[in-house]
Amino acid sequence: MKQFQKQFDDLLAYWPDEDQELRKLRSTAFDQFKNLGIPTKQLEDWQFTDFSSLKEIDYRLSGAEDLPQLPDDITEQVSNTYLLFMINGHYQPDLSDIPESISVTTNLENFKANKELYLDHKNLNPFSALNTSMMNSGVSVTIDSNVILEKPIQVIYAMMDISDPLMNHPRFVFQIGHNSQATIIEHYIGSTDMPYFTNPVSNVTIKNNSVLNHFRIEAEDPLASHIATSNYSLGTDAQLHSVSISSGSKLFRHNINLNFNDKGGNASLNGLSTIREDQHHDQNIIIDHSHNTCQSQQLFKYILSDKSSGVFNGKVVVQEGTKHTEADQTNKNLLLSPKATMNTNPQLEIYSEDVKCSHGSTTGQIDTEALFYLQSRGISKAKAIELIINGFAKEIIEQINNEDVKTYINNKVTNWLESVLIDA
Amino acid sequence: MLIIKNIHASVDEKEILKGIDLSVKPGELHAIMGRNGSGKSTLANIITGRDNFIVTEGSITYNGINLLDMATEDRALAGIFMSFQYPVAIPGVNNAYFLRAALNAKLKHHGKSEVNAADFMRLMREKVKLVNLDESYLSRAVNDGFSGGEKKRNEILQMLTLEPELSILDETDSGLDIDALKTIAEGVNNFRNKNRSFLAITHYQRLLQYMHPDYIHVLIDGKIVKSGDIELANQLEEKGYSWLES
Repeated sequence: MKQFQKQFDDLLAYWPDEDQELRKLRSTAFDQFKNLGIPTKQLEDWQFTDFSSLKEIDYRLSGAEDLPQLPDDITEQVSNTYLLFMINGHYQPDLSDIPESISVTTNLENFKANKELYLDHKNLNPFSALNTSMMNSGVSVTIDSNVILEKPIQVIYAMMDISDPLMNHPRFVFQIGHNSQATIIEHYIGSTDMPYFTNPVSNVTIKNNSVLNHFRIEAEDPLASHIATSNYSLGTDAQLHSVSISSGSKLFRHNINLNFNDKGGNASLNGLSTIREDQHHDQNIIIDHSHNTCQSQQLFKYILSDKSSGVFNGKVVVQEGTKHTEADQTNKNLLLSPKATMNTNPQLEIYSEDVKCSHGSTTGQIDTEALFYLQSRGISKAKAIELIINGFAKEIIEQINNEDVKTYINNKVTNWLESVLIDA
Repeated sequence: MLIIKNIHASVDEKEILKGIDLSVKPGELHAIMGRNGSGKSTLANIITGRDNFIVTEGSITYNGINLLDMATEDRALAGIFMSFQYPVAIPGVNNAYFLRAALNAKLKHHGKSEVNAADFMRLMREKVKLVNLDESYLSRAVNDGFSGGEKKRNEILQMLTLEPELSILDETDSGLDIDALKTIAEGVNNFRNKNRSFLAITHYQRLLQYMHPDYIHVLIDGKIVKSGDIELANQLEEKGYSWLES
């Protein structure tokens, strides 16, 4: 904890003239973080993940001096999108491309204008508190009411050419007005030979009758630790369609909290983790059905190779007195190696009568019957394995309703699979 | 073409086949009949090389080559096909994509150029008609959500596309209504020629009425206890299997 205290003190010293209210917010959050501490295995919601490496490495907050030489071109990106580019935590307007109709502000500007967005944020976990206390990066994006965005907005958060272990605590505030439609891609990439720690919090508000497609691509460097929190809040008849792909970082934890703030909301959350070697990916999802006629679907898949490990914890809570709730939760995992492990715990907490809920989880190896079937048609074993794994991933990829994103992800998954199968 | 000599085979260390001899020549259709558990499917599985089916004695040659040393996919490339009793569903794997991969593996094996997607789809549109399967099944995942009959039609579709020399029809008639049975028998009959051989495994003579086998073999407790022509199948229909048991 000592190194976090030092970083926090340095941050306050670095920005001595910061808004007093923001300072207070930071200090309160840091106290919260200190009280909660880095989670240990004694805590039920965190029990399958070892966060001790975050204490062992002295991460330093990225500063102005950590801005590397800017690349001429960003090769790792989904094509045909508006772009917001951040490198080592620093927003690069010159490398970004965003029309004036979309309001993009820094957190500092946004804090002055819309304090409540920050003051209302609830630190539901220690990493969220840490983010609030050290928030040093990120942007706020606001889509007005009655807008249909032509292209997706892609936020690329890149880490590259760092000389010592850095950390960043980006805060993203995505606000979609009434009756609007937008697609947002959060895209994390990294290429370093140093460990680094990225701890983003994304607060997403979808107002009445709006539709948001939210894609999240976590392709950090294998040395990275990526601990993320995504909080969704849906208005009347609002729709969220999200697909989260994670294949990078040694340590990955994603907390997803979703609240229906009024009736008629519909949320579909999907995820695919493709991991290998000693990667550990942990996703924790809580969906709170506190209003009538809301629907949620979850489909999370993991493909685990080598001695990688995965955790899926999904919880659907249906509050007392709510009507016509539909909730479905599915987790499916494919183990490609006998050393790979998966911990899964889909849960339903239902306090209402008027619900249609289902949940289930399967973990298994490649279906030998399917393998034999394909081989019996003259397809080589290697090709048959590739077909089966690709087929497993496809159910998630098919959920991506944007062709550019789908193509990008599909290529990523295919490349990942080829590299895993070549090494096997 | 296929010569099986004194085959003994075990599953989970239990001996299922206890000395089978069988010779199939080009153009012949042999029916293997027997009750459940008599070893019919085990015979099919050792010809195609499924894991867990262990040959403990005997030999199988195919066009003079020792089949038992070959991997499953190599047996397929050599011209052996099995229509599965229970075709497995493979979620996410597109039926047409899979079948084109299989056809291209075969073409490549024979030193021929691969078929492109457009030509393949033209070919498929013809073939699906022969088994009375809607074209939409081509773009679905392999056998995923198919009914029993659709799965069997899909098996025969694969046979007609891959054009094997030896086709093993493992209980292809099970779970089919009479119309589906006729369609499938017709598909097989039109596919027959002087070079193509068949092993039809069944426990009813129903399918055989439409397929006109050259030989019938009765399998009881891992051994062929009697061989004959279609008349034998008729006798089995009438009298059951017990009169053949020792």
